[in-house]
Parts: sequence; C-alpha cells; structure tokens
Amino acid sequence: MDDAPILKVAGLRAKVADEDLEILKGVDLAIKPGEIHAIMGPNGSGKSTLAKVIAGHPAYEPTGGSVYFRGEDLLDMEPDERARAGVFMAFQYPVEIPGVSIANFLRTALQTRLEDGEELDLFDFQELLMERMEQLEMDPSFAQRPVNDGFSGGEKKRNEILQMAVLKPALAVMDETDSGLDIDALKIVANGVNTLRRESPDKSVLLITHYQRILNHIIPDVVHVIVNGRIVESGGPEVALELEARGYEEYRKAHAA
Amino acid sequence: MSQVAAVRKPSRPVIGATAVAEAGATDPPWLRARRDEAWATYQATPMPSTRSEEWRYTDLSRKLQLDELVVAHGDRGPGAAAILPDALRRTMEQDRDSAARIVDIDGKVVSVELDESLARQGVVLASLRDAAREDDGDIRRLLATRAVPASDGKFPALNAALWNDGVYLRIPRGVRVERPVRLSRWVSRPGSATFTRIFIVAEEASQLSFVDEILSPDFETTTLVNTAVELFSYRGAQIQYVSLQRLGRGGFYLANQRTLAERDSTLDTLNVALGGSVGRVDLNASLLGPGAHSDMLGLYFGDADQHFDFNTSQDHVSPNAHSDLLYKGALDGSARGIFRGIIRVHEGAQGTDAYQTNRNLILSDDAIATSLPNLEIEADDVRCSHGATVGQLDAEALFYLMSRGLTRGKAERLVVLGFLGEVLARLPMGGVVEKVTNAIVAKLRGV
Ligand SMILES: Nc1ncnc2c1ncn2[C@@H]1O[C@H](COP(=O)(O)OP(=O)(O)OP(=O)(O)O)[C@@H](O)[C@H]1O
Ligand SMILES: [Mg+2]
Repeated sequence: MDDAPILKVAGLRAKVADEDLEILKGVDLAIKPGEIHAIMGPNGSGKSTLAKVIAGHPAYEPTGGSVYFRGEDLLDMEPDERARAGVFMAFQYPVEIPGVSIANFLRTALQTRLEDGEELDLFDFQELLMERMEQLEMDPSFAQRPVNDGFSGGEKKRNEILQMAVLKPALAVMDETDSGLDIDALKIVANGVNTLRRESPDKSVLLITHYQRILNHIIPDVVHVIVNGRIVESGGPEVALELEARGYEEYRKAHAA
Repeated sequence: MSQVAAVRKPSRPVIGATAVAEAGATDPPWLRARRDEAWATYQATPMPSTRSEEWRYTDLSRKLQLDELVVAHGDRGPGAAAILPDALRRTMEQDRDSAARIVDIDGKVVSVELDESLARQGVVLASLRDAAREDDGDIRRLLATRAVPASDGKFPALNAALWNDGVYLRIPRGVRVERPVRLSRWVSRPGSATFTRIFIVAEEASQLSFVDEILSPDFETTTLVNTAVELFSYRGAQIQYVSLQRLGRGGFYLANQRTLAERDSTLDTLNVALGGSVGRVDLNASLLGPGAHSDMLGLYFGDADQHFDFNTSQDHVSPNAHSDLLYKGALDGSARGIFRGIIRVHEGAQGTDAYQTNRNLILSDDAIATSLPNLEIEADDVRCSHGATVGQLDAEALFYLMSRGLTRGKAERLVVLGFLGEVLARLPMGGVVEKVTNAIVAKLRGV
C-alpha cells in the first residue's frame, strides 16, 4: 500500500470569509490511506471549520498553509470537484432540501461522477441504495422522502452515513455524526463506516467527535486534540481516554487565544 | 377581382363588431344575442389600467395593443388534425394515459376522441361551438352567465363576445373518469388573438380530471390567447383542472377561470405557467355548499423578461367549506412574478377553512416577485391563514449538494425543481406530474 498521505494539511490558516476573524491558526495533519483519525476538542475550537475548509465551504477563506488530497491542491478546487475527487463531509448540521428526494439526490450525485455520455444504470443504483439502507436499518420509504426535510436529529445523521455509504468516498470527514444518536443508532452508524472499510480497506476517515464512546466502535489510528484553532496533541486511542477523564482544562490554559 | 381575392383569402378582422358577427355567424339566435350583449358590455367597460389594484403591476397599455391583433378563426380545413405541428405531436405522445382528447388549432377544435366506453356511459366531449348549436339546455342556461359572465370585466366580456370555439365536457351523474381528459392546443399565427372557452360540468358524484395544455412557436409580435374557463361541480362531484401554459415567447396568455363547487364536491385547479412573454390568470373559486373543497395550486417559472401575474380569490359563500391555495414561483433573469390573492369569507360562512400561501424563489438580481395576500372575513367561526415569502437560493443548500459532487448548475436546478415540485406533490395525478416535471426540467436545462 502507498504510504503517501491521502490528506495532508500543513500550516492551514483560515478565517471567516467576510469578517476579520481567524479560526484556524496553523493546522497540521497527515492521514494515510486506510487510516482513521479522530479529532476532539472543546466547543468552538475550530473542528467544523476545519472540516468545512477541507470540503470547500465558501463561508471560510484559507489565508495560509495548504491542503493536499492525493497530491492535488484541494484549496484550488470547487466543492463539487473535491467531492468528485473523493472527499466527503458528513455535516454536523445536515441541510434540508425541500422537495428533493434522497433517491433523486443520490442518483444525481452518482451520475455526476460518470463520464459525459455515460448513463447510470438505474437498476444497479436502486439495488445499491436499498442494500445500503438495509445495512443502516433505514426504512426503504426514506428513499422517497425529501432530503432531511422533517427528519429527526438522529435520522439526519443516519442519512449522512447513507450518502457516504452510497458515494464511497476515499476520505470521509465525519463532523460529530455520533452526536444525537441513541446507543443502537450509534452502533448501526459505526457499523456502516466499518462495512465500507471492510469492503475497501484503503478508505480513510477523519472523525470529529466529543465522545470517546464512538471510538470503541470505530477504532482510530490517531487521536488529535484541537484547541483554539491548533492541533495541540496527537497520539493513540489512549489520548481520547485521558481526555474523557481530565477534560480540556490543561490544554486551554496552555493554548489560550 | 377584389371580390375573388376576398373569397380566396378569408377576411381576418380586427377586434370589433364585424368579428363578433362573424364569430356568431352559425350560432343559434340566443347565443348571437348573448355575444352582442357581451360586446356592448365590452365597449362600455374601460380597459383595466394600472390605477386599479388588480392591474397595478401589469400595464396593458404597454404590453397589449388590442387593435393590432387579428382575430383567429382557426380556418384550417378538414384534415387539419392529420398535419399536427411536430411540437404538439411530441407533447401529445408523452400523454400515455388519456380517457379522451380534444385538439384545438388556432382556436378551432380539429379533433375529438373519446373512449367508446365513456361515450356509452353518457360522457359528452365536443367542440363547444357544435355543442352550443345543439344545446342541451344547460349550455344556454349557464354559458357565460354563471361562471365567467361578460359582466366580470373587460376580458370576460371580450371572450363572451368573440369566443370562436372551445370545449364542452359533461360527465353524467355517478360516472368516474379515471384517466385525464386532455385538451391539446396550438397557436400558429403571429399577431393573432385567439378566444377560447372551456365549459365543464361534472354532475352529482361524478369525477374527472382535465388537462389543458397550450403550446406555440416563438412570436416576434404579441400574440394573444384569451381563455375563459367555466367549471361546475355538482353535489359530491370531483373535478381537477390543470392548465399547462407553454406558449412561445411573444405569447400573451390571458385567462379567466371560475370554479363553482357545490355541496360536498371537490374542485381543484393547478395553473402552470412556463411559457409566453406575459401570463395573466384571474381565478375565482366559489365554494357554494357545505363540504365543498378547492385545492388551488399554482406553479410558475420565469426567465428573461417573462411576466406572470396571478389574481386569485377564494369566495366562501357557504359555511363549512374548505379552500387551500399554494402558489410557488421561481424567477430568473429579469422575470417578474405577481401574486395577488384574497380569501373572502362571506357573512354566515361559519366553519370556513381557508388557506393561502405564495412562495417565491428569486434566482437573479434583476428578477422581482410581488406578493399580495389578503383576507376579508365576515364570519367569526373560521380558520384562515395567509402567508407569502420571497427568498433566494439557500447558499447552505447549494453547498450541501455541491459537497456531494453536483455542479453548481445541477445543484441550482435541483433546488428549484424541489421547490416547485412541492406543488406537484400535492396533485394526485401521475401522468400530469411527470409531464409538468419534464416541462420544468426542459426549461431549467435552457437556463
Ligand atoms: N461563519 C462564521 N462567522 C463567525 N464566526 C464563526 C463562523 N464560523 C465559525 N465561527 C466561530 O469560529 C469558532 C469555531 O467554530 P467551529 O464551528 O469550527 O467550532 P467547533 O469546534 O466545530 O465547535 P462545536 O464543538 O461546538 O461544534 C467558533 O467560535 C465560532 O463561533
Ligand atoms: Mg462543530
């Protein structure tokens, strides 16, 4: 297996696009194919901002450093180009798209990944969608419901994983997908991620979470701690356990703004 | 010599008394008298101006020169149905499920097809001109008197005087027509004015859906299509009327629609405006008996300099009736959308349920939506609400879709389609939903 990182973030700085507010203050991170990295950090430390800058959200402006994905400069690409290249972000707050069914949405998303003139096979698609929904223990009727419209918090999170499972990205950034899930749902979601990795072991995951709990199901290779826009510690799964016991207080003191 | 020329080339009169006389040339006397009366009303009625509330945003003095138009007679000879224009033929081929079909070219019915079994059950579908000549009593009693009478205004009067042809449809008591009856209309002549009337009676406990689709090529000069729609649902009957306006640019679509819903009947309408340069629809839904129900749906999608103006009213004359209006529009380019709606709960109409919602999606800096919802309530035990929104494409939604790989264009199209599609989701008519969706998609592709 190739040992070059699939994602390499170096000295990344980013600010709010229409404000003079810097949020990421030099983030370094390298994820190799097949690795699972977890990021933990207090509220407001910049976790979602990091995820969104990787995905290309227009509300944030990178002001320094770089993000390379499979050797390509991600910051140079439009959000849809990044997605087609293999980056996926599961949103912390998934967006409602009234009137657009999950099936239609995912069909369109897969179609955009094909060459010009190539048509998605609708039967294959239907089969894939139903198989994935079954794995995630979602009722098939969900496929016809408008994306996230009127979904419960947990249903929205599960829908993010469904999309990931259908689109099979090389890198999935999961922003607090475990928040708001009951214990059974958490296991189902973790199972969804693990299934994907079993199918293709070189898929990588960047998993943002507040809870050590999910890391019992999705075992990370590396755990990072982010405080005030910087990664202040990286280590093995034990880092998460220590955090659980001690909280962020020491880090906060050491890395105040 | 000049006489010969006149015979070969039928006179094509402008709007005036001669045209009225010509339109009524083969009519029975009662109908000719009605046309003359309507013409008198037309002459006595001033042209609506932007000084009136109802026409404030559509300036006819700038958009419509009536005296430059030539009245269409649909004077194609027999066999016209055999040489249907390609565009019309294509859209007709998409209609896989039809119980009956009537084709109208330049304001004249050229073919009527009705399922044999329906004819046996007493369903009548005919050219309105033919039906009026034979008259079953109801036509004389109701035509241009109860629903869209000349007294309603300048254009209802003009239509009552000049209508050239149209549709007569009658569903007998208890007969349910499961598949839609379709009217396919085509306008070919630039600078023409077409006057059409649609007259539908659904007798007690009968049921039907009717799709009125109109197409044309683009025109360099303003080309008027004026349609009066008279819909009657008797006790316990169900009517769904769908207007699918897909005229070419240069088309000026002007419709007066009135629905009269009697006790326990359902009279739903859907107005889809995609084509033409100007579209103005006046729709009045009258709820005449307890248990009457009207869903009023509307969907418009304008680009370039298209101008769509909807003027609706929900008249709750009877207690315990229900009406629910939802009009949604997306506007791109420098398109203009106007929605003006009023719920009138008449005195004594207790137990009324009446709702009115207009939502607009603005896709460009120059597009404008104007929304004027209104309530007039003279009863105290009612449930009424009205709401209007004008919004832009949600940047978060676009990002969400793009983050799944959709290009910006695709993401925008999907959001617009979803936004408008919510209207169609309320219409339980498979064949129509698909058709309208395809028409929107086709238009979105062009954006
Ligand atoms: N668009 C924005 N405008 C202004 N401030 C913003 C914006 N986006 C983020 N911020 C601020 O940047 C900081 C980091 O936000 P971010 O959402 O990245 O935090 P987080 O680590 O994901 O927090 P949480 O754990 O609560 O999800 C916060 O203080 C937040 O208020
Ligand atoms: Mg966050």
